[in-house]
Amino acid sequence: MRFGMELKKLRRTGYFPAFPAGAAAASAFPILNMAVRTEVYTGLPGNPLDILLDASWQMMAMLNILLIVCCTCMMYHTEYAENGIQKMEVLPVRQISLFLRKFLITTAMAALVIMIEFAALAFCILMWFPDAGIDLKEFLCHWSFEVILLLPTIMVSLIIASACRNMWISLGIGVILVFTFSVLPKDYLFLDLCPYCSPYQLLTAAEENGHAALFLGVCIGETALAGMAEHIYLKIRRYFS
Amino acid sequence: MNIIETKNLTKAYGDFTAVSSLNLHIRKGSVYGFLGPNGAGKSTTMKMFLGLTRPTDGAFHINKKRFPQNRVEILKEIGSFIEAPAFYGNLTGAENLELIRKILGLQEDSVDDALELTGLQEFKNRLAKRYSLGMKQRLGLAGALIGRPPILFLDEPTNGLDPVGIHEIRTLIKSLPKKYECTVLVSSHLLPEIELMADDIGILNHGHLLFEGSLDDLKFHAHDMGMPDDNLEETFLAMIDADNQKRRDRR
Repeated sequence: MRFGMELKKLRRTGYFPAFPAGAAAASAFPILNMAVRTEVYTGLPGNPLDILLDASWQMMAMLNILLIVCCTCMMYHTEYAENGIQKMEVLPVRQISLFLRKFLITTAMAALVIMIEFAALAFCILMWFPDAGIDLKEFLCHWSFEVILLLPTIMVSLIIASACRNMWISLGIGVILVFTFSVLPKDYLFLDLCPYCSPYQLLTAAEENGHAALFLGVCIGETALAGMAEHIYLKIRRYFS
Repeated sequence: MNIIETKNLTKAYGDFTAVSSLNLHIRKGSVYGFLGPNGAGKSTTMKMFLGLTRPTDGAFHINKKRFPQNRVEILKEIGSFIEAPAFYGNLTGAENLELIRKILGLQEDSVDDALELTGLQEFKNRLAKRYSLGMKQRLGLAGALIGRPPILFLDEPTNGLDPVGIHEIRTLIKSLPKKYECTVLVSSHLLPEIELMADDIGILNHGHLLFEGSLDDLKFHAHDMGMPDDNLEETFLAMIDADNQKRRDRR
């Protein structure tokens, strides 16, 4: 029931249309890339899905992260704009559970976005690699890997948005983090494991380096740790407000 | 019997003490007027009661329940309106109240009841962000009154209302204890309003409680101190002025 309540709060905010719009933008990239440089990619040896992901995922992941940053800011802007969050704080409901429901909603929407993007990749395979065929199990593995790697970014973006009453501050912090992490050197594993950096990783490359399990474990751990940090923050901020 | 009692309740922000060793006694079924100039600590006290801010020192109990151990149980019994109306502008008035109803687990007709009480019934399907200032104030009040809670905290509830609205809200607040055995803690700058609706009053200045008791007690107290006792406004101003003078002399 409370989950539905969080969904209801997002009505008429633009939150729900933003996800398919973001998914359409990210999905257009591999299609356009293939349409414009068909010979470059169809001539490459190897698995078509890996070829497409190598060619497009960096841009798609960046668009996904930017979408998450924008949507988490929208989510908390709705809470702060007319002080609705204060009403929630004086009702018999745990603040951390409201936060976790927001996390679950954003995760579900992000999973949907990545699914649409993988559908676009499937379209590219059918269009430009007609002999290859679609391996659903392979797609599912890649999709779930990317969703899990996006979890710490969703959690940290929500924490930033929840801490800032002014949406432009949280949006500014988010955008700075996106671009800072995108220009960091790619030679250090610990940097690849950070939120805002992990969504750029690909399952095939991680498996080749033997890091797939490490990425999954660290990202789930980071998400849990950040969730606990938010819980503590929600408790201690009452001392200073 | 006191439904709310505080014991040396204190809230400090660094060097600044917003509320200092406050000892309040609010009788069950009464309207308690909380008076004080801006920055006296009225809203901070109400925020502490609601768990929006943690006391630096001291304790309080509400209906025999203690904070923070019984936070959720306490909040189930309180309707509140603090500083300004709090709502979701992207939702209609009815949708805003529906959210609160679901959290409190109230019956479905409680939304219409709250809308009726505050005169918002005909505007219930309008987006809250399109409401006028007075309508937003009424929506905030409806959010506090929904389900007719046994305890109400109202911080400046008549701000932004026209004279008719002020009269309606005053009549409503005054009728609550008799109709629903409700206890109301109300703060207002409109002293004649408080004079008309409060059974007891507490006067706060710079976080210190200067007076607590009934309006008759205040008249006796003011008379004894050589202050004007014709009406609450004059007594209040004289009391605040005397306290401020004492502070200046101490410095």
